[in-house]
Amino acid sequence: MHLMNNNVIEIKSVSKAFDARRVLSEIDLCAGQGISLFVCGVNGAGKSTLLRIIAGLLQPDSGSMSICGYDLNRDPEKAKAQLGVILHGSMVYADLTVSENLSFFARLYGLGKSCARVRRLLDDVGLSSYTHDKAGVLSRGLLQRLAIARALLHKPSVLLADEPFTGLDCEASEHLADILRDFADRGGAMVMTTHDARMGLRCCDRVVILDNRRLIFDAETGSIDAEKFANDYLGYARSVK
Amino acid sequence: MRFFWSTLSAIFVKDIVTELRSRQVLPTMIVLGMLIVWVLRMASEAILTSKAVMGPVALWISFLFSGLLVQERSFAAEQQHDCIYGLLLAPIDQGTIYLSKLLANTAMLCIFEIIIVPVVLVAFRLGPDTRWPALAGVLLLGNIGISSVGTLFSAVVRVSRARSSLLSVLVLVVLMPMMIPATFALLTVFGAVPETLQGTGALSFIGSFNAAVGYMIAFDAVFVVACWLLFGFAIKE
Amino acid sequence: MRRLLLVVTFLLMFGAIWIALTVGAIKGPPANPDSPVRNIFYAHVPSSICSLICFLVLLVVSIGYLYTGRPVLDLVALAAVEVGLLFATVLNATGSIFSRGEWGVWWTPTPRLVTSAILWFLYVAYLILRSSLPGSAQRRARICAVFAIIAFLDVPLVIISARFIPDMHRASFEFTSTWQTAAFVMSMMATVLLAATFIWLRADLLISESKLQEEIVL
Repeated sequence: MHLMNNNVIEIKSVSKAFDARRVLSEIDLCAGQGISLFVCGVNGAGKSTLLRIIAGLLQPDSGSMSICGYDLNRDPEKAKAQLGVILHGSMVYADLTVSENLSFFARLYGLGKSCARVRRLLDDVGLSSYTHDKAGVLSRGLLQRLAIARALLHKPSVLLADEPFTGLDCEASEHLADILRDFADRGGAMVMTTHDARMGLRCCDRVVILDNRRLIFDAETGSIDAEKFANDYLGYARSVK
Repeated sequence: MRFFWSTLSAIFVKDIVTELRSRQVLPTMIVLGMLIVWVLRMASEAILTSKAVMGPVALWISFLFSGLLVQERSFAAEQQHDCIYGLLLAPIDQGTIYLSKLLANTAMLCIFEIIIVPVVLVAFRLGPDTRWPALAGVLLLGNIGISSVGTLFSAVVRVSRARSSLLSVLVLVVLMPMMIPATFALLTVFGAVPETLQGTGALSFIGSFNAAVGYMIAFDAVFVVACWLLFGFAIKE
Repeated sequence: MRRLLLVVTFLLMFGAIWIALTVGAIKGPPANPDSPVRNIFYAHVPSSICSLICFLVLLVVSIGYLYTGRPVLDLVALAAVEVGLLFATVLNATGSIFSRGEWGVWWTPTPRLVTSAILWFLYVAYLILRSSLPGSAQRRARICAVFAIIAFLDVPLVIISARFIPDMHRASFEFTSTWQTAAFVMSMMATVLLAATFIWLRADLLISESKLQEEIVL
């Protein structure tokens, strides 16, 4: 990695408008190695848009992003190789089995078949008994686990997670939180959105609030009382509506 | 370069395997193709003297309409579970996605033709004295032609509500110029028109079989390259 | 400026029509010399050239859009297509009337007729595509630009492929008097100016419309 500074994710004055509606305006965001970021905001605040812009799926109107020092526009292939992404859709093929899905994506990331890696990942997310089942028959929660395995497959240095806890049961959420925590502890940078403020604060080191097209709050989660933040946030979200 | 071939074949194999498992489109298109051939066979009962003309025409029409089904499936299948984002997020060139989809579509059309050509031959009592390599060549060029624009527009229309009807309009409009020499070439293969025509022939064509095939090769080359270059713009959100 | 352009266009048009109907009239086909059907040539050829010019404008602004991403270029592209479709319609309609008077059929596959028919279809397909894409305007603009480039590639291919069909269309035309030449040059200039004015007016309207929409939303 050739980093100018320690920032693995670097977003500089990114703006985005859908037709005439401005969604993001001059957003600056940085995160270093091992830092996990919790992006908070009410529905429609632009969280998903921001994540999709960092993932390179959406082109911002202005501004620049770089992942591990690779500019997303100039070196998209190198930048993408460092990215793991969890979106609303699970991004797996219903007609392929669980292990075939992972092997397919392993080949897209240039990892060969990497059977051992696939097996270990399936163990980690608790899918090893479903290895040869078609992804189409998995329940929502199991699909979400597969999506997580898919995102971590190529050992990315940056993980983007958009609502990773949806559809997971209590135990699976705890487990996922551990996986994410573990990812950050091993030096990966993470950006996450979720509506569960407590869970978000537990997994992340920093919290930012996105509101009215801008970032309005940025703090270490260590200095925040999770219970109070969650309640305040709830009241605030109600007042916005 | 090795990475390119490996990803190309990965997506190609994935497409063929998912199609063979889900059987979303191959059975439908084969039955549709047979129905079109059957309808035209019935309609041509009155003019059976010209069956050498009707046969190739039936083949082209069933090929065009069934071919559109394959094209639409190509990216419609990626919409489920947002798989298309999975492809876009991978560190591969978007042109590779286009090329592998193009290959998969062409391969599926080949499977379709292997079944439909005997049906046409039997239905219209066309002799197998036809030149097989020439027939295969013309059909393959047609496959590549429809797939080249079809794959691109399939990516374009995947977000539209009127997906398949929009796709048929776009593909058929762009494919119109190729249909003239393609029809001529196919008619020649089945011996419906002389090898070379000068002036106003019985079927109003001029040129030779070789010229028609040359034109089809040029058409395919132009559109494969152009669509490959423009694919990145079409697929982006 | 725009008013001047319109005045000049209309003066040229009236002049061309007046000459064409009087001293510059072209004799009818040998079978029916009194028929005015060949006079349609004064409207037919300029429209064919204009519809091709609009296509060229469409290509240029579409490539420009893909390069720069400026929304104005997309609106100009739409204006060019609408005006181009208008002239392509005139081209096919006048051609059809001429064909009926000259050869006795409304339509027959000859290279030029096939080419102009496909040109018309390409314009229509562009508008259909444009109206059926939901989502953001940027995405729609990008996709339409891609289609425009593919469609433009189609035109030379049509012209080549049409050579597989025998031709009865006359490629060139001999003028028999200077009046005819004058009328033709005038109608040519008038039609090109008309096309330019139309594109200008339409693009202006579209741009104001999009600005207004932006103000309403913000």
